[in-house]
Amino acid sequence: MIRLEHIYKWINNGAARVFLLKDVSLTINEGEFVSIMGPSGSGKSTLLNVIGMLDQADEGNYFFFDDAVHQLKEKQRAKLYKKNIGFVFQAYHLIDELTVYENIETPLLYHDVPSAERKSLVADMLDRFQIVGKKDLFPSQLSGGQQQLVGIARALIIKPKIILADEPTGNLNSKQGEEIMELFSQLNQEQGVTIIQVTHSEKNAAYGSRIIQLLDGMIAEN
Amino acid sequence: MIKQYFTIAWRSLAKNKMFSLINIFGLAAGICFTIVIVAYCWLQLSVNRDLKNADHQYIIQSDWKDKNAGFDLATFGPLAMEMRRQYPELVKNYFRFDGVTSNVSKNNTAFRENIQIGDSQMIEMYGFKLLQGNPATAMREPFSAVITEKQAIKYFGRKDVLGESITIESFNGSKKEFRITGVMKTPPPNSVTFLNRDNDNQIFLPENTLSYFGRDLNTWQNQHIVGYLELQPGANAKRVGELMKVTLSSNISPDLASQVRPYLVKLTDYHLGKENASVKKMLYTLAFIALFILGMAIVNFINLSISKASERMREIGVRKVLGSSKAALIAQFLSESVLIVFISTVLSVGLYAFLRPYFNGVLNTELPEVFAYRPVQFFYLFVFALVLGIAAGIYPAFILSSLQSVDSLKGRLGSMQQNVLLRKALIILQFSTAAIVLSSALLISAQVDYFFSKDLGYNKDFIVTAQMPRNWNPEGIRKVEQLRDRFAELPIVQNATVSFEIPDGNISGSSIIYRFGQDSSQGIAAQILSVDKHYLDTYKIPLSAGLNIDNKAGSLLNQMVLNESACRALKLDPQQAAGQRLRLVGWGGFVGEIVGVTKDINFGPLQQKIAPQVYADVKTVNIYRFISIKLKAGNIPDEIQTLQNKWASLLPGTPFEYRFMDEMLAKTYETELQLKKAAYAATVLSIAIVLLGVIGLVAQNVSKRAREIGIRKVLGSSITGIITLFLKEFIVIIIIACLIACPIGYLIMHRWLSDYAYHVAINAVPFSISVGILLIVTIALIALQTFKTAIANPVKSIRTE
Amino acid sequence: MEVKQGEFVAIMGPSGCGKSTLLNILGLLDDPDNGSFMFNGIEVAGFNERKRAELRKRNIGFVFQSFNLIDELTVFENVELPLIYTGVKSAERKIRVDQVLEKVQIMHRRNHYPQQLSGGQQQRVAVARAVVNKPKLILADEPTGNLDSSNGNEVMQLLTDLNEQGTTIVMVTHSEHDARYSHRIIRMLDGQTVLENIMI
Repeated sequence: MIRLEHIYKWINNGAARVFLLKDVSLTINEGEFVSIMGPSGSGKSTLLNVIGMLDQADEGNYFFFDDAVHQLKEKQRAKLYKKNIGFVFQAYHLIDELTVYENIETPLLYHDVPSAERKSLVADMLDRFQIVGKKDLFPSQLSGGQQQLVGIARALIIKPKIILADEPTGNLNSKQGEEIMELFSQLNQEQGVTIIQVTHSEKNAAYGSRIIQLLDGMIAEN
Repeated sequence: MIKQYFTIAWRSLAKNKMFSLINIFGLAAGICFTIVIVAYCWLQLSVNRDLKNADHQYIIQSDWKDKNAGFDLATFGPLAMEMRRQYPELVKNYFRFDGVTSNVSKNNTAFRENIQIGDSQMIEMYGFKLLQGNPATAMREPFSAVITEKQAIKYFGRKDVLGESITIESFNGSKKEFRITGVMKTPPPNSVTFLNRDNDNQIFLPENTLSYFGRDLNTWQNQHIVGYLELQPGANAKRVGELMKVTLSSNISPDLASQVRPYLVKLTDYHLGKENASVKKMLYTLAFIALFILGMAIVNFINLSISKASERMREIGVRKVLGSSKAALIAQFLSESVLIVFISTVLSVGLYAFLRPYFNGVLNTELPEVFAYRPVQFFYLFVFALVLGIAAGIYPAFILSSLQSVDSLKGRLGSMQQNVLLRKALIILQFSTAAIVLSSALLISAQVDYFFSKDLGYNKDFIVTAQMPRNWNPEGIRKVEQLRDRFAELPIVQNATVSFEIPDGNISGSSIIYRFGQDSSQGIAAQILSVDKHYLDTYKIPLSAGLNIDNKAGSLLNQMVLNESACRALKLDPQQAAGQRLRLVGWGGFVGEIVGVTKDINFGPLQQKIAPQVYADVKTVNIYRFISIKLKAGNIPDEIQTLQNKWASLLPGTPFEYRFMDEMLAKTYETELQLKKAAYAATVLSIAIVLLGVIGLVAQNVSKRAREIGIRKVLGSSITGIITLFLKEFIVIIIIACLIACPIGYLIMHRWLSDYAYHVAINAVPFSISVGILLIVTIALIALQTFKTAIANPVKSIRTE
Repeated sequence: MEVKQGEFVAIMGPSGCGKSTLLNILGLLDDPDNGSFMFNGIEVAGFNERKRAELRKRNIGFVFQSFNLIDELTVFENVELPLIYTGVKSAERKIRVDQVLEKVQIMHRRNHYPQQLSGGQQQRVAVARAVVNKPKLILADEPTGNLDSSNGNEVMQLLTDLNEQGTTIVMVTHSEHDARYSHRIIRMLDGQTVLENIMI
């Protein structure tokens, strides 16, 4: 499903070139639950962003199913990730001016889903996460764990093929973190959603089926 | 989708109340000002447009070789009528009038009124509506009058006054009743009934009544008639102008004909172009100011929107990740800006209604009330708001939607940094403007004060003037001189004098004078002032040589006093001028002897150089209008009362409508006083907008750096240290702005002031003051805003989520 | 509670138990409503803002969970700040800043901006900033919370070294692992201290 070949990404710091990703090659198949780990500054988030098409590699090939992402223009890439990828952030990144309902609904608006269908999709999602009673609250009125739930609901509503999660439990306490990881596990095993997460918690990584270790922009272990 | 945009726009506005309010108020002020100016311009542009056949209506103007020799507003009496008679295929209709001022009364109500005596086809030619009376016959009978509805109310308290009569005085003391044959609906703004400030006519008499006032429209000797033509469709105005010159040449002396060229001005163009295109200039200036103020408000909006962007980066990044296209983001931001502009526009209409009386005063006009506007005009406003919303929002929308999503999620400014420079440039622009406007306002104010305080060479303090009933014959002159002496006897009166002119800047005409022994081709144009022997004393006009006019009985030659300019123009040495004789053209062979020379005094507006002047004895010239009474310093209201009583006893039945000379000066400089008011209004407005902009930016800056402030406080920074941090950023901007503003402001004011022959000098004072004020106010503002955050507990701002 | 000079104390407890509030009071960032607080023999409860600020900037260094560096300043300038606020002259500042940068091994990134550093590196800079004024007391609020384990250990080691050189350290943490670096653990619950463990 995802194939990276000799991916490089660097930034120019004055005269020196600092590599964020150095000769990264890997393959991820549908249905996997992968954890990317590594010390701070090893390039985990950068790798995730490249996979998620939010950022572009400076060198190398990236194949997403059959599409050569590295050759696509910005607009085409946007179309691709919009349709296939759901993002979950450490800081949830909900839109403060929108209610829970509206936050979850937003991706559907960008997919031009008609109103009636939107209603039913959002209702389903609220049900699934058991937050129907909170649908008219604003993010500031929810606890961290609840906000992350909404974030995940938002990511899932377009039925993406793959979920990318950047330290999804980083801002949660252990109990809340556990709940989220259970949810991920469930999504992966029962519904076959491919999940790639960046984490530095060994506990979280244990929920997955594979661990990729990064060090200084390169793969140390796979 | 649009629905969500507006929902978010609304919630976003509500969330950032201060930012929204600043933006909305700034825009509302700018839009309100724009609306006012548009309304005013539209009013001015529509003068004369509601007249019948407006496109074919013209006024005759005269281009004199010597500007002092005649009026550009007036023409020869029979000319318009002749043109119609000779060229009916080119000229469809004509109208002429002579304007007089006289006492009008009805029982106990008496006033001095401007009266227009003219050809009777006026009402039908221009389509004026009569509430009562028949337009075809209203101005046919001698001693009939058509009055406007305002006058009807004034004299009768009601409008249905057909058949009633009012009494009008002539210039030889007699009174006569005029029957009212028509009541005119208030005419639309036009240059026929309201030619200029001095010719706001609301009483119309037919031409056959003119002899009652001792005047004649139908003689070529009369050069002071206002003439109008209605041309046939297709007639060429230029050609008609040439034909007028031909007609003129065959009816007046070739000498005189060579001095003047009559031409036609379309009425619809006239109003804007008159008085040296003062109205047109005013419109351009106002339009420029409006655009400018609106521009500044938009600049504010753009600045604030962009600086707010840093708070929205996260949201932008999220939306991009969720699949928003750049276009969708732009649409979202545009709906926000459009929403703000709409709210501002509604607010500005409210402001308009509230401030309308104030604007009326500044612009000296009557702006329509909000409800007087037609629905289609509100539609224009709606479209304007829409366009403005898009225009104001498009740039920030592009900036914000172009941010890289990844960077924005991480809170990185990225490409935002380049825009810091742009925003600083915009602030500099606003500050420069405010500095220029403020220093200009100060200079204009100084110049206007100068008008009123300049030692003009004569003294007008405590001088009251009033018009005397006219009786222009030797008997009448004798009587009026006696009246003058009666007033002079009063203990409260220092001097009294009778004259035709007073030093109010209005000189009604000039004549050609030349030295005895030469011919008129070597003559010069001079203002002839008909005065009595007390005039120079009353106004303290100093003589530089010779004596005052002294009406010693039995002198053979008429005595005259010249001013130095007249002497120079006649190539006479002022010290040697006494004894020289002069001839006046057009005064029936008048020969005068110079007995004295006065210093050059500026009676006219300070735009003009001092003209040659000749003082002639009122007894020989036989015309007068005013009595000027110089009061002794004391309780002025009481003194006026005494005068009033004396007048009532000496001149029963004649209204004592007095003016102080200072008031008259105000009238001369009406435009400049208006400009002064407008300049201050513009100053207040531009400073308000600039300050709003500063408030907004500082607020944004402070909230963005709240965390940094907290950290610095934890590390030990003092409160002054925090405040200085922000001050440093802005002070540099302000100083650059002021450096730019000063030379530009200097250039602009230099241009304006050089229009006046006599003006204040430009020095550093107004510029220093405006820079100083701006600096102080801005520093205070910044300090106040940062203070609040600076004293807050740092723990609050550095706490993470 | 009491903290003796040279101690390394950890304060632990569940979310909302008052750890951070306690730390703020210790750090003279906040004032207690009731009770007495003796700092170095001086009664500071009731001090006004200015007095607290003065005492704080000369005696206390802070390390935060989210580093709290100023993004617009370089590493050098960030570490320099406390010295500026205590009136140290430019030449001496340079020497002292370079010294601490060496100590935390971040000299090679002296002129970089915080965004260009990884989390662990940023925290090292923060520690450098906290010690540049040679404070008597360092207060650390979850210093390893945003770091992975190896970076976290590095920071804990740094703190331990500082403590061995005589700096008193009070640290709030919810990591039992980190708490083991301390001499003493004070546990809190609902705003009260409930337990004290002595380590070693």
